[in-house]
Amino acid sequence: MNAKANTTRITLIAGIALLFAAIPSGRTQLNGPQHASDFTSTEYYEPPHQQKIKSIMSGAEALPQPGGRLIIKQLKLETFNLDGKLELTVMAPECIYDTLKGVANSPGHLQVRTGDGKILTAGDGFLWRQSDQRLTISNNVCSVIENGATMNTKP
Amino acid sequence: MKGYSLVLIAGLGGLMVHAQTNTPGAPPAPRDPMLIHSDSWDFDLNGHQAIYSRHVRVDDPQMKLTCEQLVADMPPAGGRPNHIVAETNVVIDFMDTKGQTNHATGDKAVYTYQEQGGVTNVTVTLTGDPQPQVVNAQGLQAGDVIIWSRENTNSHIRFIGNYHMVSYQKPGEVMTDTNSPVTVAKTNVPPETVENTNTNTH
Repeated sequence: MNAKANTTRITLIAGIALLFAAIPSGRTQLNGPQHASDFTSTEYYEPPHQQKIKSIMSGAEALPQPGGRLIIKQLKLETFNLDGKLELTVMAPECIYDTLKGVANSPGHLQVRTGDGKILTAGDGFLWRQSDQRLTISNNVCSVIENGATMNTKP
Repeated sequence: MKGYSLVLIAGLGGLMVHAQTNTPGAPPAPRDPMLIHSDSWDFDLNGHQAIYSRHVRVDDPQMKLTCEQLVADMPPAGGRPNHIVAETNVVIDFMDTKGQTNHATGDKAVYTYQEQGGVTNVTVTLTGDPQPQVVNAQGLQAGDVIIWSRENTNSHIRFIGNYHMVSYQKPGEVMTDTNSPVTVAKTNVPPETVENTNTNTH
């Protein structure tokens, strides 16, 4: 796993760890040492852009599982470009995130929307590989392009 | 993941339909959204590439495309997608400037988009085995390579290599069958033109 992926993974783990420590905002509620709710984890670009947000992951619940895995409910992942513009919003009702391998997957539904909201891709069953930044939807893929999306795709 | 490839397909649809019904200066008429279906979808955020695989189907109000795999590239800096490749059993149904339905088939279709100095160049190139062909009410035309190209509002179709044409007097009735390097389909209304370049491209 490359350094970039490690950075990302560590960031997320750190974010979750912070949640468990109840350091984040008042939204975080601890129901026990292995349960966090309404969490948010922020990832930053690598130097020299370390001040810029690369992505924000949030969820309604994070339930740690054996083997370094987390069950995340109501996942929402937003990615940003270096200009700070929203590129994508990824949403899933539930997924399993393996903090050791840096992968997330679910047999459930996934929805991806571009920053301008004009392009939506959805499907069932997905795998997100953080190390190489690849997202796969394995079933029933449908993309919808709203009118006007052909002119400018910059988020 | 970014779904930029969808925009590429939209561009492909725009190329296929040359008829413009909008009044100059008037806002574009609303269009129904374009839908792309496939069994799976893979997006490379670093490579800015999306791959639709298995039973790919593009449903646009003015164009329909099916294939087994569709690969779309997105410029890293953003902006309009500039390259898309549809492969394996590519079938494109589109309307020309006369509103006539055309049925194009090939093993591979490559869409490219370039914008330089205010000039927009768009091409769709059909290749592969079996030989690509276009069928409409007037007949069938085939060539080793079929290229639709558009520069701003002007567009034309070229058939390159082993040109073959079958004309119909009326739907279903075969009138001629020729392999001669004739100029064909001059009946297409401007600005779209069709030409036959009966040469090998290898």
